[in-house]
Amino acid sequence: MVIRIAAVGDVHLDKDVVGRFRPALEQLPDSADVLLLAGDLTRHGTESEARCVATEFGNLGVPVVAVLGNHDHHCDEVPAVIRTLEDAGILVLEGTNVVLDCAGVRLGIAGAKGFGGGFAGRCASEFGEPEMKAFVRTTSAIADQLGEALREMDCDVRVALTHYAPVPDTLAGEPPEIYPFLGSYLLGQAIDSAPTELALHGHAHAGTERGTTPGGVRVRNVAHPVIKQAYSVFHLHPPYAGATAGKVSAISARGSS
Amino acid sequence: MTQRGAGGGEPPDDYLEAAIQRLLTERTEIAEQGITVSRRDHSVVLCGEVESAQRREEILRLVLEHFPEVPVMVDIGLIRTQAPTEVEELR
Repeated sequence: MVIRIAAVGDVHLDKDVVGRFRPALEQLPDSADVLLLAGDLTRHGTESEARCVATEFGNLGVPVVAVLGNHDHHCDEVPAVIRTLEDAGILVLEGTNVVLDCAGVRLGIAGAKGFGGGFAGRCASEFGEPEMKAFVRTTSAIADQLGEALREMDCDVRVALTHYAPVPDTLAGEPPEIYPFLGSYLLGQAIDSAPTELALHGHAHAGTERGTTPGGVRVRNVAHPVIKQAYSVFHLHPPYAGATAGKVSAISARGSS
Repeated sequence: MTQRGAGGGEPPDDYLEAAIQRLLTERTEIAEQGITVSRRDHSVVLCGEVESAQRREEILRLVLEHFPEVPVMVDIGLIRTQAPTEVEELR
């Protein structure tokens, strides 16, 4: 049994883009069981742009699950954006999860936008000015929600979906100076707190596709400018229950929490 | 690559790169964070990929409007949207 996951992020839709993805999306149900959207769905977060997303990515014939990105927050219309997407059947995760039945296999998806802060040894700390403390607390709270959403699912396969990056590996190609604005190790730590099979993110347009968390979870940057196609498709081969337990042990043995 | 502007003249100011980068991000009719602005001897090069040809034109128009004295070279492509021909097996 294979679970087929299609994913793309950073499509930045507005009226000028509607229709560009649709020919490829019409073929999607033949090659994937679900489509995950890794944030920055709109150009700058208006309800009108969200309607473009709904037009382009709605009614696909497979479940569509999304997180928002920083662009989707810009105009402070997040509730309207979410309502518009969900009216079109696109489920938006914000520190929450969903379990889908994929031909008898329970696929659990936990999602959150994430935020910045940087990576171990080169990261921001909750110290100093109120603005700096608020910045780090924002990431920390989102990471806590993501970890909880991953751990609490009763499912056979876990996938984490974020906009910001959980590891620096998939940022290679971006200027190192801006890594703290592209992701946080706290997201990686949250992903490693559960037996996650795959972590998908966007945001880093000049990054690279592949990486792994310190706990061994495979990470893929599916930002549209990175994958250079309408979406990528990943085949997950769900392990038997015993094998899952073995993998968790193996991860724990390497010191991950 | 399209070359616009007068050419020659003084090299752009060091702060110009930052000004253009912020303009492209913060003007909401553009809202592009993925464009690299790099300084050459006598011009700036705008590099990256966008979701539509219209956006590429908007970027060029906005930069020329705000910095009419700066020679600008544009090397911005469209991101392809074809269906994938391969899948990644994760075992």
